[in-house]
Amino acid sequence: MGVVVRATGLVKVYGAGAARRRVLDGAALEVAAGELVAVVGPSGSGKSTLLHVLAGLDRLDDGAIEVAGAPVHRLGERALTRLRRDQIGLVFQSFHLVPELTGAENVVLPARANGGGAAGATRARALIEQLGLVDAATRRPAELSGGEQQRLAIARALVNEPALVLADEPTGNLDDAAGAAVLELLRSVAVGGRAVVLVTHDPRAGAVADRTLRLVEGRLEAAPPA
Amino acid sequence: MRRALGLAVARLRARPGRTALAGLGILAAGAMAGAALTVSFGLATGFDRAADRADLPDVIARFDNTRTPAFVDRRVRALPDVAARSFRLEITNVHLSGNGHRSGQGSLEVLVAGRRRGYAVVAGRDVSDRRGGEVVIERGLADQFGLGVGDKLHIGQLTVRVAGIAVGPDNVAFPLARTARVYVPSGPLAARFGPAPVNVAELWLRDPSKLDEVLTQARAVSYGLRDLRFITRGGVRATLDQAAGLIVALLSAFALVTLGAAALMLAASASAEVQRRMRTIGVQRALGFTRGQVTLQHGVEGALLALPAAAAGVAAGALAAGGPTSDLLATLNELPPGAALLPWLALAVLAIVAVVAAASAWPAWRAAGRPATEVMRGGDLGRPRRRGRRVSSGGGYFALGARLAGARRGRLLATVAALGAAVAVVLLMLSLASLLDRLKEDPALLGKRYTFTVGDVGARQLVGSVPGVAAVGERYQVDGADAFALGSPVRLIAYPGDHTRFESPPLASGRRVRAANEAEVGQGLAQALGLDLGATLAVELQGGEARFRVVGIDRALDNEGRIAFVQPGRVVRADPAVNPVLAVRLTEDADPDRVAARLTALGVPPQRAGGATTSNAAFLGVLADVLRVLAGLTGVVCLYALVQGLALTARERRSTVAVLRATGAGQREVAALFAGAAVAAVVPALLVGIAVHQWLLAPAVAHLAAGYADLPVGAGAPEILVVALGLAALGLGAAAWMTRRARREPVVVGLREE
Repeated sequence: MGVVVRATGLVKVYGAGAARRRVLDGAALEVAAGELVAVVGPSGSGKSTLLHVLAGLDRLDDGAIEVAGAPVHRLGERALTRLRRDQIGLVFQSFHLVPELTGAENVVLPARANGGGAAGATRARALIEQLGLVDAATRRPAELSGGEQQRLAIARALVNEPALVLADEPTGNLDDAAGAAVLELLRSVAVGGRAVVLVTHDPRAGAVADRTLRLVEGRLEAAPPA
Repeated sequence: MRRALGLAVARLRARPGRTALAGLGILAAGAMAGAALTVSFGLATGFDRAADRADLPDVIARFDNTRTPAFVDRRVRALPDVAARSFRLEITNVHLSGNGHRSGQGSLEVLVAGRRRGYAVVAGRDVSDRRGGEVVIERGLADQFGLGVGDKLHIGQLTVRVAGIAVGPDNVAFPLARTARVYVPSGPLAARFGPAPVNVAELWLRDPSKLDEVLTQARAVSYGLRDLRFITRGGVRATLDQAAGLIVALLSAFALVTLGAAALMLAASASAEVQRRMRTIGVQRALGFTRGQVTLQHGVEGALLALPAAAAGVAAGALAAGGPTSDLLATLNELPPGAALLPWLALAVLAIVAVVAAASAWPAWRAAGRPATEVMRGGDLGRPRRRGRRVSSGGGYFALGARLAGARRGRLLATVAALGAAVAVVLLMLSLASLLDRLKEDPALLGKRYTFTVGDVGARQLVGSVPGVAAVGERYQVDGADAFALGSPVRLIAYPGDHTRFESPPLASGRRVRAANEAEVGQGLAQALGLDLGATLAVELQGGEARFRVVGIDRALDNEGRIAFVQPGRVVRADPAVNPVLAVRLTEDADPDRVAARLTALGVPPQRAGGATTSNAAFLGVLADVLRVLAGLTGVVCLYALVQGLALTARERRSTVAVLRATGAGQREVAALFAGAAVAAVVPALLVGIAVHQWLLAPAVAHLAAGYADLPVGAGAPEILVVALGLAALGLGAAAWMTRRARREPVVVGLREE
């Protein structure tokens, strides 16, 4: 299996003067296709920042990141947009579904950006059936449970067939059963050949992850087995 | 209440940007209201204000032969109910010069007897018999010549000092009126030339409702006074109407409509502001706030925001419109409202505060009545239609933007209502401007089918032989007064045979004239004199009275509709001095310039048929200023409504835009999204605006402005195209601006929004 994400010497600094803080301080990470890596750590340790810089949503102060062979740290805004559209799927803690659109329309949303209208719709339909979201697909987010919304968000992340899926606290707003189902779903995404990086507080994540890393003082280190 | 006040203040201070945006909208609408109120109040009350301040007489009698004051006084003493009288000698065609300007149209008003003047001194002081070498000049003359109190004026060879400047509301001001009036005391003149005779008598009545009796008696005792003519306060008003009444009425109606539009925009924007807070209302209800508390809080917040913004806006609008309105009133010899306007402006501020408070409280009341969870979840999202299981790509980001805007139905409706009102008002303004131009220049608008008149009636055959001439006919026109209401002017237009070959205003009721004793009257005249079909129209002409039976009522615009079409027989009998001209109607394909050149070459130079309004350029310039101020304010409100709608959408969609960018939407896609949202508001607003204008505002303005005539105020294709292009430009500009703002924000900031 090839390496999808390679990150080395990541540095990200917030604030200035006395409030200056190195949230990432030399963190390094490698994730291969078909691998699910869980990143854990206390609140404020920089887990979400790690995900943001991996996705090119935020800029590094130092270090290098490659995603699917593309040097994220050197890409301009347009190239980053293309990279996110074609190679990266994002899952958020608060789902971030567009409230005015139905579940199916939310799933197909990223396909609008890459011009894959009909093909995107076909993939979305397949994903909806595959993830058991046929009923949820015709409803708006406000009418759905948290678990249904998060599964739709995962389907949305997969619709452009990305090489990498980045999930930020995907079980944070879910009850135990729904959370477990989402973790299983992410596991199956990795089994399907994608690299998955999961940032979480959820202790059950260790059970589904191939590796668990702990973010401590801006560096990633292997966590002891659960 | 105190708690609601505290909470409202805290909320306003917590969001300074949003508060400023909402405040700006209220300020803009307030400015519109202030300007509209200033224009409409100023114009509606200008004459009465000036007449009261000037102590305008109830009756002014003019006669051609000068008489001694004692002779005229004997006649006046025979009249019942006269409270006071003054006599003047009016000398016309006097040469005036001063400050590098000159005019041969001066009118010297020698104040021979009586204490009451009939004019208001607005600068300096009045003249008196004790001071020689001083005059009071009318304001129009002072403005045109650039004269002030203390300056020198030359009357023929005589040099006098300007002691005061006055407004005489019995006529419009120079140069809209042909003559420039100069008031001089008779004492110094009497000392030099002997006692002055008089040819004008001004009468003030104890009971103005007995005017008709006084006039009847006056005619009975007027022997020795040749060509006696009376003009009453009502007659003065009618004279002023002839000069500018139609336009002033149109402007007043326009201002009233603008007021209504401003109220609608305020309500729409306040309602949109509450729609944005649906989730907060849901949380408040969940925390135990009563429905009344939630409503009160929003109402108080709306009022708190509206009070300073409305006060500033109304003041700004009044100041902006005050100058042009005063100029317009000055040309009509009327006075600006001054402090009398203040209570109305204060009332407008209170009305705006009430509208905003009510428009904020009402949706809050409705929302607070729904289950808290429902409100928290979706605000005013419409219920989704059940769709099939088919999944489509959905039509791109443009369509998505339109859907996002359309999903907030309340907000979209409010934005569309505000924009639609602005579109309707701007269309109305453009239509009005176009109508003014056409009234000025297009004789066909007045029902005139002839293009030229030729003074030499004997050249009828010669004129008829010119290529391009379709018909030639004699046209008589004479001005008189209604024999029953002597102050009411009437214009008789007579053609031998069928007048519709040359003038054909639409017939409102009855039929066309067929016999010498019949008349078709304009609706303006019918309304003024209470004439109906079958009634008798008696007109006092120079040589006697002419009577006609009313057989038709026309929708005539010419001369404010105070006209009557008749046949010439009785007109010539009552006024043998009346001279006809030749009315020349052209064929449809004729080139008027070529025909005019040919007629001139044949020695019968033609005159072009004119329009309805005065051709005085300065007057029309002042009118254009008033229109520009109102239009500018409307445009600002239109832009504000659009930007506010988009800014609110962008602010609320911050996280959605961030998610779209995070999932691969670039600048083009974000721009398409905002363009779609803008189009979702702009297209229906344009349609609503056009519909409201064509079927509501234009007919209403036409009705308000001239109940006596049909005015074609409707917008044509050019006006609609201009507004559509302007709105599209505004929409695209606003979308581009919002795209730029959205793109400058880091994606992660938007993602943290929820």
